[in-house]
Amino acid sequence: MDLAQGGPATALGVPSIDVAAVLPLLIVFTAGAVGVLLEAVLPRNQRWPAQVALSLTSVVGAGVALAVYVTGDFESTTTFRAEEASSGALAVDTPALFLWGTLLVLGLLALLLIADRSVEPGGAFVSKAALRGGAAGGTDTLTKEQTFTGMQTEVFPLTLFALGGMMTFCAANDLLTMFIALEVLSLPLYLMCGLARRRRLISQEAAVKYFLLGAFASAFFLYGLGLLYGYAGSVKLADIAVAAQGTDRSDTLLFAGLGLLAIGLLFKGSVGPFHTWTPDVYQGAPTPVTAFMAACTKVAAFGGLLRVLTVSFESTSWEWRSVLSVVAVVSMAIGAILGLTQRDVKRMIAYSSIAHAGFLVVGAMALTEDGLSATLFYLLAYGFTTLAAFGVVSLVRDSSGEATDLSAWAGLAKRSPLVAATFTVLLLALAGIPLTSGFVGKFAVFEAALSDGMAPLVVIALVASAIAAFYYLRVVVLMYFSEPAPDGPAVTVPGVFTTTAIAVGTIATLVLGIVPTFALDWASAGGFVF
Amino acid sequence: MPDTATAASGLGTYLPLVLLLLLSFGFAVFSVTIAPLVGPKRYNRQKLQPYECGIEPSPQPVAGGGRIPVKFYLTGMLFILFDIEMVFLYPYAVAADAVGMFGFIAVTIFIVAITIPYVYEWARGGLEWD
Amino acid sequence: MTPTYYLLLSALLFTIGVVGVLVRRNAIVVFMCIELMLNAVNLTLVTFARINGELDGQVMAFFVMVVAAAEVVVGLAIIMAIFKSRRSASVDDTNLLKY
Repeated sequence: MDLAQGGPATALGVPSIDVAAVLPLLIVFTAGAVGVLLEAVLPRNQRWPAQVALSLTSVVGAGVALAVYVTGDFESTTTFRAEEASSGALAVDTPALFLWGTLLVLGLLALLLIADRSVEPGGAFVSKAALRGGAAGGTDTLTKEQTFTGMQTEVFPLTLFALGGMMTFCAANDLLTMFIALEVLSLPLYLMCGLARRRRLISQEAAVKYFLLGAFASAFFLYGLGLLYGYAGSVKLADIAVAAQGTDRSDTLLFAGLGLLAIGLLFKGSVGPFHTWTPDVYQGAPTPVTAFMAACTKVAAFGGLLRVLTVSFESTSWEWRSVLSVVAVVSMAIGAILGLTQRDVKRMIAYSSIAHAGFLVVGAMALTEDGLSATLFYLLAYGFTTLAAFGVVSLVRDSSGEATDLSAWAGLAKRSPLVAATFTVLLLALAGIPLTSGFVGKFAVFEAALSDGMAPLVVIALVASAIAAFYYLRVVVLMYFSEPAPDGPAVTVPGVFTTTAIAVGTIATLVLGIVPTFALDWASAGGFVF
Repeated sequence: MPDTATAASGLGTYLPLVLLLLLSFGFAVFSVTIAPLVGPKRYNRQKLQPYECGIEPSPQPVAGGGRIPVKFYLTGMLFILFDIEMVFLYPYAVAADAVGMFGFIAVTIFIVAITIPYVYEWARGGLEWD
Repeated sequence: MTPTYYLLLSALLFTIGVVGVLVRRNAIVVFMCIELMLNAVNLTLVTFARINGELDGQVMAFFVMVVAAAEVVVGLAIIMAIFKSRRSASVDDTNLLKY
């Protein structure tokens, strides 16, 4: 067989690795591996402090490494144009660095939420993943094993692996790296969904649903990869772009490949018709994990989508743009309209995330520098807001755990003005009211879309935001102008970790809303390089 | 024509073989179908066992209504994981001299990376068959 | 042999996997269908590698196999956990999460 010829006589070129560029990634993955070792060697009572210290330190360390790299010779020598690290498997360019920074900050806040043990004694995670739920629903009383105050500390290495996968995903320069990163970020998330301390059955069900649908979607992604490999003879994004400019190849392979690839990416971003897992998984997963997924997975998925569309498929944008417009409209409509009917806070925010995914697709389609920077800014702003919102959701509790039913939130302002005020700010930001980051993000995205000739889409997006604003405001009205139920939930006073996460998220929401210029500058500092 | 003649005679020499093949096939089908139809049916416990000698597997898997212990699945899962990871060592073994020191370091990192979960599995009792 | 046949076969296998995921009720069988989809893609990759006369596709198939194995382990762990809770692996029984 001619493929086996050649033999090992010719030495292969040694790929060069720019260690400084990928150092944040290495730190996160190494810390994940060390975390697994700690699980193996430490006795049970020492695991939590060790894991918390390790994971927080590593994420902060990765952030420092990133900051050093960005402010160091990177800026002076390459003037915010990227160099390709890791022999072309990763492209550490400016958007990738911005996304890494976003992911690390949001990941740090999510880790704080995950590590918290003051809101729920022992933390929001079960002590042994094998513990089964009680009766159907498994809502009320905890068994003796469930009240055991330890927690499954494997969740920390899992979070780190997921975070590392997301960072790789944003920077992946070929589709194979992207696929591996997709799995590295997904597999830990599937497991983390099933680890809730309370409502075991619902949590496990969320894990099964997320897993089966997620694996289904990544199989589509992979088939897209296969077809594009057949089309271009390579899976490097730049090679696909070059091949797409020539006309002598089969368009069937190109567009079938792009379509299948997009299904996988849009699924991870919980966009439009590929959203069906989102409400169930957001509701069933432990709230800190939901916060992590909602903020970080969305950043990673749209980072990947932006890169694929900008780098590989810019020349064919006429063909796919109309299809993606339909997807965006469907996503916004589903998020806005079905969100109205929800009675559960977590589900409501899940539908809101579907609507926001629609807005993000509008920004990602623009394919201009403005569109890119607007989408990046939107991701940053949305991440902070939604993370803090889920942090607040975890505070409102009754005897059976979190009181996520909307009726339990009636009159919350009378009972706990601070929490109600915080949540109001976050909801207004999700609705896109001025002086919050949500407004700036939407404004930037819509402006970029308008200047790229997508006026009808912007009109639809505005209508969708108006509809969605209704259900956010409904919750605000409910909190301020209804009488609290006599046996309503209590607001737990959170410990340092949760307080920090919520405070940082809320303050960032306000700061990005009032003085957004600096972050917009960061986001617009450069484009994808290939 | 001599060519066709030899060809025909060549085919002709194979005719008995073909006939024998058909005959043996027919005989096999005949005996398999006729035996249960005309033979006596006297079943006993021994005859119903899957093996004529040796230990009968118990409890029976799915058909017998029993379940396979979950431990088999766990061990199987762990085996699959570590087994499949080894697939990367084959290309390295073939190209070891071509990829040089870089390849050696990469493979070493890879082996360290899969040894860590192995240590975890061992220390946490995943390999014990209690 | 025309390599196109292999592409058609892999498309067929992938479709069988998709249909299986959509119509089957047992979580394990659904999961096996997903594995079928992944392996159908492997066939595509290897065929294109043959057409292009290079090894990249075969190497990618290795990566896909490893990812599939990791997915098997995670998936079976999750399915086993839920099976222990409710003694059933039917995806129709997982219906607590609805609005």
